[in-house]
Amino acid sequence: MMPRRSWGRDLRYLALYLVKRLLALLVTVLIGVYLTIVVANMGGQVDELRRVQIRSEAFEQVRADPAFQEMASAERNALVERRVALEVERLRLDEPFVLRSVDYLQRAMRLDLGRAEQMHSDAGSRRVSDIIVERLPATLLLFGTANLLVFFVAVGSALWLSRRYGGRVDRLVIALAPSSAAPGWFYGIFLILAFAFLVPLLPPGGMVAAPPPQGLAYAISLARHMLLPVAAMVLSSIFVSIYAWRTFFLIHASEDYVEMARAKGLPSRLIERRYILRPTLAPIITNFLLMLIGLWSGAIILEQVFNWPGLGSLLFQAIGFRDTPVIIGGVVIFAYLLAVTVLLLDLLYALLDPRVRILGEGRGGA
Amino acid sequence: MNRWAVVVGVVMLAVVGLALLPASRAPLSTGVPSTPEALAERRGALIDRLVFTQESDPGRVTGLLETGSHQAFVQGIGSIPVYRRLRDAPGADYDLSYGSSVELTLNPVGPTFRDGRLNPFHVPAIREALHQLVDRDYIAEELYGGLAVPRWLPISTAFPDYARLAETARALELRYAYDPAAAEATIAREMRALGATREAGRWHHRGEPVTLILLIRNDDERRRVGDYLANQLEDIGFAVERRYRNAEEASRLWIAGDPAAGQWHLYTGGWISIVIQRDQAQNFSDFFTPRGRAEPLWQAYAPSPELDALAERLERRDYADWDERQALMARALELAMQDSVRLWLVDRLSVSARASNVSVAADLAGGLAGSALWPYTLRYEERLGGEMVFGTPGLLTEPWNPIAGSNWIFDRMITRALADPPLLPDPYTGLYRPQRLEHAEVTVAEGVTLTRSLDWLSLERQARIVVPEDAWLGWDAGEGRLITVGEAHPEGPLTARTRVRLHYEDGYLAQHWHDGSRRSVADLLLPWILAFERADEASPLFDAAHQPTFEAYRQHFRGWRILSTEPLIIEAYSDQGFPDAETLVAARAPQPLPWHTLALGILAERRGELAFSSHQADRRGIDWLNLVAGPSLAILERYLAEARGRHYLPFAAALSPWVEEAEIAARYAALDAWVASRGHYWVGDGPFELAAVYPLEGSLVLERFEDFPDPANEWLSLSQAALPELTTRGPLVVHAGDSAEVRLSVTRQGEPYPAAAIDAIRYLLFDGQGRLAGRGEPRPLGEGEWGLTLDAERLAALGAGAHRLEFILTSQRVALPGFASHLFATLPATAPEASP
Repeated sequence: MMPRRSWGRDLRYLALYLVKRLLALLVTVLIGVYLTIVVANMGGQVDELRRVQIRSEAFEQVRADPAFQEMASAERNALVERRVALEVERLRLDEPFVLRSVDYLQRAMRLDLGRAEQMHSDAGSRRVSDIIVERLPATLLLFGTANLLVFFVAVGSALWLSRRYGGRVDRLVIALAPSSAAPGWFYGIFLILAFAFLVPLLPPGGMVAAPPPQGLAYAISLARHMLLPVAAMVLSSIFVSIYAWRTFFLIHASEDYVEMARAKGLPSRLIERRYILRPTLAPIITNFLLMLIGLWSGAIILEQVFNWPGLGSLLFQAIGFRDTPVIIGGVVIFAYLLAVTVLLLDLLYALLDPRVRILGEGRGGA
Repeated sequence: MNRWAVVVGVVMLAVVGLALLPASRAPLSTGVPSTPEALAERRGALIDRLVFTQESDPGRVTGLLETGSHQAFVQGIGSIPVYRRLRDAPGADYDLSYGSSVELTLNPVGPTFRDGRLNPFHVPAIREALHQLVDRDYIAEELYGGLAVPRWLPISTAFPDYARLAETARALELRYAYDPAAAEATIAREMRALGATREAGRWHHRGEPVTLILLIRNDDERRRVGDYLANQLEDIGFAVERRYRNAEEASRLWIAGDPAAGQWHLYTGGWISIVIQRDQAQNFSDFFTPRGRAEPLWQAYAPSPELDALAERLERRDYADWDERQALMARALELAMQDSVRLWLVDRLSVSARASNVSVAADLAGGLAGSALWPYTLRYEERLGGEMVFGTPGLLTEPWNPIAGSNWIFDRMITRALADPPLLPDPYTGLYRPQRLEHAEVTVAEGVTLTRSLDWLSLERQARIVVPEDAWLGWDAGEGRLITVGEAHPEGPLTARTRVRLHYEDGYLAQHWHDGSRRSVADLLLPWILAFERADEASPLFDAAHQPTFEAYRQHFRGWRILSTEPLIIEAYSDQGFPDAETLVAARAPQPLPWHTLALGILAERRGELAFSSHQADRRGIDWLNLVAGPSLAILERYLAEARGRHYLPFAAALSPWVEEAEIAARYAALDAWVASRGHYWVGDGPFELAAVYPLEGSLVLERFEDFPDPANEWLSLSQAALPELTTRGPLVVHAGDSAEVRLSVTRQGEPYPAAAIDAIRYLLFDGQGRLAGRGEPRPLGEGEWGLTLDAERLAALGAGAHRLEFILTSQRVALPGFASHLFATLPATAPEASP
């Protein structure tokens, strides 16, 4: 009977806790998305820029078209005005920005991503969801591969190094850790120069060969195109990751209970699994999940350098076009993913860490 | 540890193995050596296969050409380092194009801004003097590293008007040549007249230093141009505030802002043209008068009454003949330089990069992407067949459909290869040449000024052109029938200013589309009907974005009719005129489109599932019709099945006289087979067909259309621009009493320039003060040689000093004129030595 009451109470506290967290996260998402809308539109000042741009484009189109060459200036200007009016209406620039921003917000919060204003998916769709979904696999594949590789290699190597503190390899890793000050795209440029131009072994960019081969050849081509960007990302973060995890494990490896286990003569693998990894599981999972949702954003410059058709370059184009729905679409999905991850982590902490329940009990008792 | 070492070793081996794998497909074939027989037999494109793939980084162009992975890049490159690398790379070559220009826009309000600050550029004389303050050669050679040519005038140095007016242009260029001392003197005089004073070398007005705000574009080489201009202005006593802005930030100030607010004095502007403009007379109204644009800056322009009147006449083409037009242009150029609300600085060159073993016709204005002849001239040097890869910064940027689909230059470049238009523009002169026409007859009413340059068409004048009653003038969307001139104008005859009779080549209607269907009159008629339907508010195909363009067309359109189908002869009437008869014919020749693919789009738009235009798609919240990829394909598949099932012929009442029942079934069957094999609905008739589209991977494949009617060498003579190279030989010093013989050689790639290609060669003689002292034509000596004798009497009239002889050549094969200068000095007669 006692355990059941305890579980019920714990679940009640947990539910209350989660509801509060959920509301807080929703408010956070709401504020974050609205700030994005305001910033992306420079508080509405983009409207003026767009009007100027629309007018200039309309004028140049009419001026360059031989069909209108014989028109008098007044007629031509009237034609330009009509074209401008149509475009202003299409982009709803005739409505106040405040109203539009609220409309953007309520749609975004409902995940109704709507239609892009300027951009299209590569296949030709104007729906923001299509545009994003089309680029998602490329980003997940590239960044997923690189980040998972970095994560597991870093954690595994760090555990190994934490047992060989002060050794030659350990000192080498420490020496190489500052190499991560340079971003992935920086290494990418050199890798392209070395392996695509000086010793042309690998393609300098793109996702597959053009035209794409079929079947197994497609997979091989894809792997060849991934080698350099993955190498660039791994190079830029592997040493500092190993260094960080190794330091983290070293701290935990010097805890009294670990020393006690060692003193008891327990095998080192058992000490790693039970006395180091288990207590550090929460931060490892946190790090892993945040790394996973980080995949969503891609990397603008790295994708540009490698001509990789991912979400980073999509966002870059959207900013260039000032395509607010696409920018909002990318941000709101990232915001929701982040919120869900944070909520999930809260839940996991509650399940993994008894102190969360104790905290609830303490509050209940007060 | 050992286990991990094995894992790491295996992974490393896999990576190395992957890197060392041969590329996932065989190396590109470069075809076989070309023989005259093989060339004569071959139809369509000169290569077999062309792949377009996305590549947006110009920095990699040279490397990719050198490694052989790419054979050309379609974007014009303006980067000076890339240009230098291309110039030095043995495996790379390039073509130059002249479509963009850099100028200095001046704020003319004043003499003071609203807040009382002085604006010196309100004074035309100060604006005019700026020409002499700017060293355009320095800008072109140093700041643009040779990727620019100096420009003084409101007309491009690469377009035909400049060649036609070369004498006037050259004289003006010399008049406004770099002379900072003269500029400073003029500006000082005018500044004092404005009440300014110069204290400690700095100009002051009402006790405050005169500070000029220079709006400098910071997103290209104009940043350096702006800095140079600022330095020049500071050198003559102005304080300069340099405001660096990108395009958007700058446009808020100089286009959208009120010039009287004084947020800027000068702006480093730029303009782009992707086609050769054969008539630039409109530029005077556009750039110097309030009629140019509705924005506040243009409304601040106050041209002299003479310039204003001339600009308006040129805009209306209000001149009796070509000679009068040239006289008006020459005077307008002079007045525009005096007005100088804009100072052109350079014409920018951009580079179209290609492999050194590749030859292709690049457009003088639009480069490779703007060339109409690239599909007909692309080849490996002296070889036939093979495959190539082109890099393009944008692919399938917007949905493709032939009615209102993607208008992006790089998409249009590809679709041009898939179409077979009746006429094609010469990439070096902009003049249209016949592709599917045998010849054309052009008739113009009295008062219409039009010139004919090529002999494939005839030109005659007629007092009055009456449009026949049976010509089609309109379309009744409600009843679905054509409206004739007789019905629309029962009151009496309708007249037109021009008539064009198009004589197509024999068997034109027997030629095939890429899917094997035979061409028909319906392919010409349906696009025309669709233009009316899309402008009719009662039609389900109505598109508000199409209406303004259509109304402009209706204003000048006066009817058309088909006189014969074998051979096909079409007659078109219009009130629209062009300076060139060739352009008029091109404007009147209908472009055929396969009616059976349009029919699917019509069905889809009527049912509210797809729309031809972006505007309509957004308005209705549906997809923009895309014939080559995306969600449209599934919808089109349904409509193809439906159309095939019920033998659907759009606007059947109008089209059925031209389409037999069997043709309907045959067309849809052919399209079905085409879609099954190619996976898309783009059916063309050009020298290439669209073989495959990979939108997600960013590539597409074109293959040679083997049933193309023309031999592959049809346009090879236009593979390269026939730019003349001029050199002079003659004495550098002439003694008084002597005559001088100056020789001019005109060559191209070391060979004499063909005499038949030369339009005219003229010379201008300037004395030591830069005054025009003589003009005329040199005498031909044969084999690309010309001679000019300056006799003693003429030289004596020049006086002692340094003189300049300028030769100007205009060619019929390229719009760019050729220039050569010969500088020489005349010495005074030697005085007799004094006796001791």
